[in-house]
Amino acid sequence: MKMSKLFQWNEHFSVTRRPTAAVLTSLLALPVYSSAWANDNVLDTLQVHGFLSQALIITNDNDFFGRSSENAGSLEYTEIGVNASIRPHRNVLVAAQVLSRRAGGETSDAAPTLDYGVVDYQMVSNQQRTLGLQLGRFKNPFGLYNQTRDVAFTRPSILLPQSIYFDRTRSLGIAGDGASIYHEERTPSGVFRFQAGVGKTRIEGDVDQALGFNRFPGSLQAGSSAIGQIRYEDNSGHFLMALSTASANADYEGAQAPLTNGSFQFQPWVFSLQYNDELWSLTSEYALRTIELDGFNPAIDNKKTGESWYVQYTRRMDNDWQWLIRFDRLVNDRSDRSGTQYAQSGLGPAHSQFADDVTFGVQWTPRPNLMLAGEYHHVDGTGWLPLPKDTDASETSRHWNMLLFQLSLRF
Amino acid sequence: MLHGLGVQQAMEKTRAMPSLYLIRTVCQQITRGLTGLALALLLAGQTHAQSVDQDATILLVAHPAVATQWLNRDTTRAIFAMRQRTWPDGDAVQVFVLPNRDPVHARFTKEQLAVYPHQLQLAWDRMVFSGMGQAPNRVADQFEMREKIANTPGALGYLEREYLDENVQVISME
Repeated sequence: MKMSKLFQWNEHFSVTRRPTAAVLTSLLALPVYSSAWANDNVLDTLQVHGFLSQALIITNDNDFFGRSSENAGSLEYTEIGVNASIRPHRNVLVAAQVLSRRAGGETSDAAPTLDYGVVDYQMVSNQQRTLGLQLGRFKNPFGLYNQTRDVAFTRPSILLPQSIYFDRTRSLGIAGDGASIYHEERTPSGVFRFQAGVGKTRIEGDVDQALGFNRFPGSLQAGSSAIGQIRYEDNSGHFLMALSTASANADYEGAQAPLTNGSFQFQPWVFSLQYNDELWSLTSEYALRTIELDGFNPAIDNKKTGESWYVQYTRRMDNDWQWLIRFDRLVNDRSDRSGTQYAQSGLGPAHSQFADDVTFGVQWTPRPNLMLAGEYHHVDGTGWLPLPKDTDASETSRHWNMLLFQLSLRF
Repeated sequence: MLHGLGVQQAMEKTRAMPSLYLIRTVCQQITRGLTGLALALLLAGQTHAQSVDQDATILLVAHPAVATQWLNRDTTRAIFAMRQRTWPDGDAVQVFVLPNRDPVHARFTKEQLAVYPHQLQLAWDRMVFSGMGQAPNRVADQFEMREKIANTPGALGYLEREYLDENVQVISME
C-alpha cells in the first residue's frame, strides 16, 4: 500500500502540470518519516473564504461605535475578512486571514490587518488523540467566542456579551505572535481538548486609550503573552465546559512625569458552560479580570479585579429563524461594585464602573450565506462603552437603550 | 400465467356446458385472478416497505484504497468537525458532506455523530475563520457523494445503504 502510494506520488511529480504545487510541496514538506507523501493535488486543497458584515446602530443616549445617538444612527460598524488555506502536506495546514474592521473611531481603523497567519502541523493523529502545533500569529482560544469574534455567522447575536468580549482592549486578547500547541484526547467519559500558546502580545492604541495613557507621549511596548484553555465535551454532544486563562504583559516607556516607566499586566480567567439541544442552547460564562499597573509611582500603581458574567438562552424556531435573550453584567472592580469609591475619588461617574445589559435578539438566515439580524439592548451603566477620544465619561448617561440591525454575507 | 390458465379452462368448459355456466365460471376465474393479483401486489408492497427500512441505515463510506476499516465515534466526530485531518494511519482525509438541510445529513449527524447539524456548521465556521482548519467538501446529493468518494483518494462520507456500490468502501463505526 505504501509502495503504491509512493509510486503514485512520484508519478504525479513527473507528470505534474503544476510546477508551483510541486515546489510548494517540497518546500513545506516536513521530514516526518521516509514514507511521507504529499496530497495528490496540493492545489485542490486550496480554500478561500470570506465574510462581510454591516451594522446600523441606533442609541437614545451615549454613542456606541460612531455617532449612534444622532440622526439616523451609526453605520460605523463594518467587518470584512478574507482567508485562504492550503494543505501542502497531509498533516500540515497553512492558513491566513486579513481583516478590515471599523467599530466607530477613525476611518483609518479599517485598514486591513493580518488577523492570523499560521503553519499548523498535526504531529499525532489517531483514534485516541490529535496533537498539533501552530506557529505564527494564532487566534487566542479564550472563552467560547474569542477566536472568531469578528465573524457574525459564529456569533449568537450582533454584539457578543460585552462584559467579556468588550471592545476596549480587544487587541490584547485577540491573537498572539508565537507558538501554540493543541491536544485532543478522547476518553470513555468524553473528549478533552487542551490548547496553550506563548508569544508576543498584540497591543494597539485601544489599550493606551482604555488606560487613559493616550494623553501622554509615552507608549506601551508589547511584552510576552501566554494563553491556555481546557475544554470538555461529553459523549452525548450536549454538554460543553471550558476554562480559559491568559496573561498579557506590556512595558510602558514614558517620557513625562507623572507617567514614567512601568509595566502593565492583564490576567483574565473565564469559565464557560454550554448545553446544546436540537432547538435550544443555554450558555453561561463567568470571568475574573485582573489588571495590574506596577513600577510607575504609588499614585498610579494599582491592581484591580473585574468580574463579568452572562446567561444566554438561544432558541431555534426552524431552519431559518433564531432568537436569543441574555442578561450580561460587568463590574470593573470587585471591591467597588457600585463605583461609589471611584466617583468619590473624583475619577469619574460611578456608572462608568459597571454595566447591566438585557438583550433580546433575532437572527434570520434565509440562505446559508446570508444573515439578517436585529437586537435590542437595555443597558444600565457604561462599564464597557468605548469612549471616543474627545469624550469625557461624565457626559455619558447611566441608562441607555440600543437598537442594532446587521446584514452579513459569507462565502 | 394464472389468467392464461383460467381462460384455457373456461374455453374447454365452453364446449361442454351451457352459456349460463360459462358466464359464472368466467366470473369466478376473473375474481380468483384479481384476488391473486391483489395478494401479489400486497406482498410486493410489504417486501418493498421492508427493504426501505433497511436502506434507511446510513453508513460511513470511504474511497476503496483507504486502509482504515473502522473508526470510533469520537474520531469520526473529530474528522467530520474538521479538527483531525488524517486517517488514523496517517493518510490525508477528504471529508464530503450533504447540504445542512438534507434530511440524510441531519440523520447522519444526529444518529451517528451525536451532534446537531447547527453545531457542526458552527464548528466548521470556527475552524475556517480561526485558522484551525478547513471546510468540508459539499456535494449536492447522494449520487454525487458516491461518485466523489469513489474518485477522491482518502475520501470519507456517508450514504444510505441503497446507494452503495462496489466503488466505495464501507467503514464500520463502533
